[in-house]
Amino acid sequence: MKNKLQLMGGLFCAGMLAFTVVDAKTLRLAYDADPVTLDIHEQLSGGVLQLAHMTFDPLIRWTKDLGFENRLATSHERLNDTTVRFNLRKGVKFHSGNSMTAADFSWTFDRLKNSQDFKGIFTNFSALNVVDDYTIDLVTTGPYPLVLHTATYIFPMDRKFYTGTDSNGKDKGEIVKNGASFASTNQSGTGPFTVTSREQGVKIEFERFSDYWDKSSPGNVDKIIFTPIKDEQTRVAALLSGGVDMIAPVSPNDFGQIRSNSKANLITKAGTRIIMFQMNQERRAELKDIRVRQAIVHAVNNDAIVKKIMKGFATTAGQMSPEGYLGHNPKLTPRFDLEEARNLMKEAGYENGFTLTMMAPNNRYVNDDKIAQAVAVMLSKINIKIDLQTMPKAQYWPMFDDRAADVMMIGWHSDTEDSANFNEFLTMTPNSDTGMGAYNSGNYSSSFVDESTMAANQETDPAKRASMLQAVEERIYQEAGIVPLHWQNLAWAARKGVNIEPIVNAMNFPYLGDLVID
Amino acid sequence: MPLLTIKSLCIEFPGRGKTERAANNVSFELHAGEILGLVGESGAGKSTIGNGIVQLLSAPGRVTSGDIYLNDDLISNFNAKQILKVRGSRIGFIFQDPMTSLNPLFTIENQMVETIINCLDMNQQQASQYAIELLAQVGIPDPEIRIKQFPHQFSGGMRQRVVIAIALAGKPELIIADEPTTALDVSVQDQILTLIKGLCREHNVGCLLVTHDMGVIANVADRVAVMYRGNLVEIGDTAQILGSPNHDYTKSLISAVPRSNIKTDRFPLVEYIETTEKGLDSIDVTTHWLGQGVRHTHSDDLLVIKDLNLRFITRDAMFERNRRYLQATSNVNLTVKQGETYGLVGESGSGKSTIARMVAGLQKPDSGSIQFDGLELVGNPDKVAIRNARKQIQMVFQNPYSSLNGRMKIENIIAEPILFHKIAPQGDVSQIVGDLLDHVGLGRQSGKKYPHEFSGGQRQRISIARALASRPRLLICDEPTSALDVSVQAQILNLLKDLQDELGLTMLFISHDLPVIRQMCDRVSIMRHGMILETAESEQFFEHPENAYSAELLSLMPRFDNIYESSRITKAPN
Amino acid sequence: MLQFLLKRLLQAMLVMSIISIACFAIQDSLGDPTRELAANSISSEERELLREELGLNDSTIIQFGRFIGRAVQGDLGNSYFFKEPAMTVILKKLPATLELSFAASILIIVISIPLGVFTAIRPRHWFSRLTMAISVIGISIPVFLTAIGLIFIFSVTLGWMPSFGRGETVEMWGYWNSNFFSGDGLLHIIMPAVALSSIMLPLFIRLVRAEMLEVLSTEYVKFARAKGLSSYKVYMKHALKNTMLPVITVGGVQIGIMVAYTILTESVFQWPGMGFMFLEAVNRSDIPLITAYIMFVGFLFVVVNTLVDLLYGVINPMVDLVGGNQ
Repeated sequence: MKNKLQLMGGLFCAGMLAFTVVDAKTLRLAYDADPVTLDIHEQLSGGVLQLAHMTFDPLIRWTKDLGFENRLATSHERLNDTTVRFNLRKGVKFHSGNSMTAADFSWTFDRLKNSQDFKGIFTNFSALNVVDDYTIDLVTTGPYPLVLHTATYIFPMDRKFYTGTDSNGKDKGEIVKNGASFASTNQSGTGPFTVTSREQGVKIEFERFSDYWDKSSPGNVDKIIFTPIKDEQTRVAALLSGGVDMIAPVSPNDFGQIRSNSKANLITKAGTRIIMFQMNQERRAELKDIRVRQAIVHAVNNDAIVKKIMKGFATTAGQMSPEGYLGHNPKLTPRFDLEEARNLMKEAGYENGFTLTMMAPNNRYVNDDKIAQAVAVMLSKINIKIDLQTMPKAQYWPMFDDRAADVMMIGWHSDTEDSANFNEFLTMTPNSDTGMGAYNSGNYSSSFVDESTMAANQETDPAKRASMLQAVEERIYQEAGIVPLHWQNLAWAARKGVNIEPIVNAMNFPYLGDLVID
Repeated sequence: MPLLTIKSLCIEFPGRGKTERAANNVSFELHAGEILGLVGESGAGKSTIGNGIVQLLSAPGRVTSGDIYLNDDLISNFNAKQILKVRGSRIGFIFQDPMTSLNPLFTIENQMVETIINCLDMNQQQASQYAIELLAQVGIPDPEIRIKQFPHQFSGGMRQRVVIAIALAGKPELIIADEPTTALDVSVQDQILTLIKGLCREHNVGCLLVTHDMGVIANVADRVAVMYRGNLVEIGDTAQILGSPNHDYTKSLISAVPRSNIKTDRFPLVEYIETTEKGLDSIDVTTHWLGQGVRHTHSDDLLVIKDLNLRFITRDAMFERNRRYLQATSNVNLTVKQGETYGLVGESGSGKSTIARMVAGLQKPDSGSIQFDGLELVGNPDKVAIRNARKQIQMVFQNPYSSLNGRMKIENIIAEPILFHKIAPQGDVSQIVGDLLDHVGLGRQSGKKYPHEFSGGQRQRISIARALASRPRLLICDEPTSALDVSVQAQILNLLKDLQDELGLTMLFISHDLPVIRQMCDRVSIMRHGMILETAESEQFFEHPENAYSAELLSLMPRFDNIYESSRITKAPN
Repeated sequence: MLQFLLKRLLQAMLVMSIISIACFAIQDSLGDPTRELAANSISSEERELLREELGLNDSTIIQFGRFIGRAVQGDLGNSYFFKEPAMTVILKKLPATLELSFAASILIIVISIPLGVFTAIRPRHWFSRLTMAISVIGISIPVFLTAIGLIFIFSVTLGWMPSFGRGETVEMWGYWNSNFFSGDGLLHIIMPAVALSSIMLPLFIRLVRAEMLEVLSTEYVKFARAKGLSSYKVYMKHALKNTMLPVITVGGVQIGIMVAYTILTESVFQWPGMGFMFLEAVNRSDIPLITAYIMFVGFLFVVVNTLVDLLYGVINPMVDLVGGNQ
């Protein structure tokens, strides 16, 4: 009994110590959610990509200024219109101890082409050819400008490790969405960290991979304890109370609190996720009229939304492509002008207005429901009465699929960090055969947009491609195909001494392998 | 030296604005081995004195002046700690309701032993042994077994015996018995009184017997103190007080007790209390709406009950063989003739109220037949006819406090059945309600008030007015006066009699009080265990009961007729 | 006794069947799980295929039939997010929630009974008035506000308390992870337990007070005084035990309701229990897990009620659950 008490006393002290003394080499990390799986091909989502950058490495990766840097590739060259050759790094080890070769890339490419979520990104790729153990050729079906963009998604998986059958007799390489698989619970990548323990929804522990190839990385983090903390305020409190070292995302409401705290730093970055409304021309004849759509765009005060609702935590948008994207057209600025909007309505013969239904999620994007309410109020100024309904995302998506309202909110992040992706999903004419315009709930249709986007996807000269994509943006702008609002910013916060500024980026996958803790 | 001496005791209950004096300059003495009856109606202050002696007055009551001596000790000056040594050890207490004075969650042993250890110098085992002896003394069979049981496993009478045993446990010098038999049936009452009397003699213990029941006083008390509104109006030997009271209040109180030996036309009233009885001549029923009810008759027998059966499940079980039932009524047959008052007598649980409830339609019988004016009420598919008949059967309940909706005004309470049955034009209703209130002696202005503003007797008048509002032919009175004081009881019973004469009402009158039954009823049925044992003309029943049980009940009926005879003052009006 | 338990088992099964029917009836409004399982950018054919694979395209009746068929074999389906049988997930999260509820219940009992008794015995005392005033305010403060307040005072400002999670747990019997056997674990459970108990505490104080007042006015308490027992004994023995009877009945139900409040508390403190799991499941349209959780909570309610009835039977000799002779 006495021993037990002493033990408990000891544990108590140990608990206190663990809580107050921080190991400099350990990063205690809190995001809003943990990845659903360890299989990086199972789901195309931010969480899984963040995980991929911790435990795997891509061929090449984005830099902070949206350029590319080599990782597992040492160099690349375009052989012809449809082929790009990559030279691979030598002496790279997987966590299992296996050496990485071109065969692993070939295996990974086949797996990507099989993945429900990733195959879409690789549609334009016909093959990954192994030239020798350290050389591969990526072949596209036609001239394709986004080979490098797409190469950032190629994280080689350990072919040997994932080949064969597990104890249940299932193929280890199988991608299973509903239920567990070998790949969703085991990992062998080339990345800076290995998963040492994982309790889903509670905690994942990572340790630095001792045989990591990148000896030049400044990163000095030995251990990561990743805890999902769902509640925004709890996450911030965890940081400020010293419970964790780094958090993301950070809600604009908490900025002030972090900025005024001497122990923490806040890093924000312009993001690339566009938030917009689509106006359904099929449901409402009024919205077929360009003047009415123009009036609506003119009536929406994006600046006010960014300032008042987003507290400055967003960049006002007049188009879909953010700065840094090829299609970004600097001429296309927001055009709030209530007088003009009223005139347009008058011209169109709707001076007395009409009623539109509007739907928006209330837990998907930052302040989504408040933004929708604000827009509803703004539109009432031009006599458009909005019948607004907001709902959780779980209920919203089925509604969106049904095109259940005249005006619907959507946010989009381009998986390829390229402008064409916006058009393919959001503004091209919906076509169930080609799969284009899948998220064009407004049924906006312009043959110019359709054709130019497809042409741009064949154009490998960046300058020409840029002018094509910018022209598309301009056309959408003129025809008021959508109501662009803003690009959501990204925010991270960390304890002082955890230098996250160099490793975070607009794609929101922090390169934690390079993180330096003082 | 008297055992208990009370000198000029004053007890006050400070209230909002006005302080109520519950005991005013009360002085008396009580000797060892003597039983002093403290008698009076509710509010007279008799219980307050009992509680005041041991400082158990409920807040905010307090003793404002006067001295209480227990032998030589001035216990009224004792502090909270000292008085603990008096309670239980020197003064034992018996409360009115044995059902509630024992804690249901502890065994009898537990509750006795804690008292014994608290009062006497004994260890657990000795105390346990002594407790068994005490139980044996108060006449509980198998005390060794029974002592391990919980209160709910005892009948009311047995519980009161346990309470008495506990009161005796500390070997007290004085026992204060506050209405010790009021909640008990007649047959048990007699046993308990005999027990208390015997124990007091045996242990030479003094007893202050607080009661409102003159019969009880007549049977056991050596001396009587009569209280009226906080004042002790008279004290003396029992025979003297009951036989030749000096004070007017005592005289009227005694005269108001229903007599068991002879039937009188009307109840004598307690004249000393300012009479509220007026009205009854306020309207002429021959012409008034009230007298215009349905009068046609199919037969002389207004109510015919045949082979009526009802049983309750007392323990449910999945299998029939494990279920337990209580036969509430068993093959009951009775016939109530047009215009008569039919009495149902019996002890609690005998099934008399269940019959009333079945007739009124509040309970469905398992089998049997109830015919009202030739119409079958059990299982009759003709809902309109049933409703029409039900309207002609009205009930007056025992408890006038719970049977009126406290959120409704009196006028609405009375108007409700008239409007519900649509038996008067809308415009006439308020006039009729006013007349009814006048007629039952409340006055029409009382219609604007709420039930809580009335006393128990007044509420019972309201209940009667409500019953009359649907112009009934059969009035079922279920213990209509047992919650009321003697003086009020007399008024209510007179009112019922007068109404019956006027309106030709038929009454089914249910009571456990034999004298009341004798005064009210033309014919009587006596019930036990759900069965009717005997039915007879009232006079016949009281003079020559045929059934042994009836005879026993009658013999146990507390009576002071012999003493009373000589001092009778009849103030019956008319 | 057997019959009693059998009845309760039947009741539990009935409750769970009704819940499962209700869950299926509203299934469509719980959202489309493929949205959480797959990226936005996948084609509609792929999405359709996934729906087909999950069996979501069958009619509700067929889905329900399939569900019941498996449910009678004890299989409530697999959670989409956890990739494990829903029951396994729930049982894994159960200890955290039960320990939190247990800690909160202990707090409620330890605080509400003395305060309730005191305010009943000394209604005019300044402390009683203060307690009642606070309890009026307390009942109207939402639990998440209390929780966030606690975090900001004790974690952020003072730095005394950990702000989230269970901390260190000790594994017992190879299954149960407990907070109660390590200092860190105990430290972590304090604030969530306080927050969770805060919503029920005012109610219980008032309940204990009201019942105590009622009991104090009974004849047997007066009789106990008349027997010469000290006030302490009258209050603590005679009055308290009787007070506890209704408190147990109402309290049992309330503690059952507390399971609902764990949803809020757990999500604020990132407590890895069933409540937080449920909230996440709703956000993720994890339909099998949602269904299993609600059914399990229904089952839990019946269990709690049964325990309460058994406890009531132990305390109250007038209740005869065992079916002995009366």
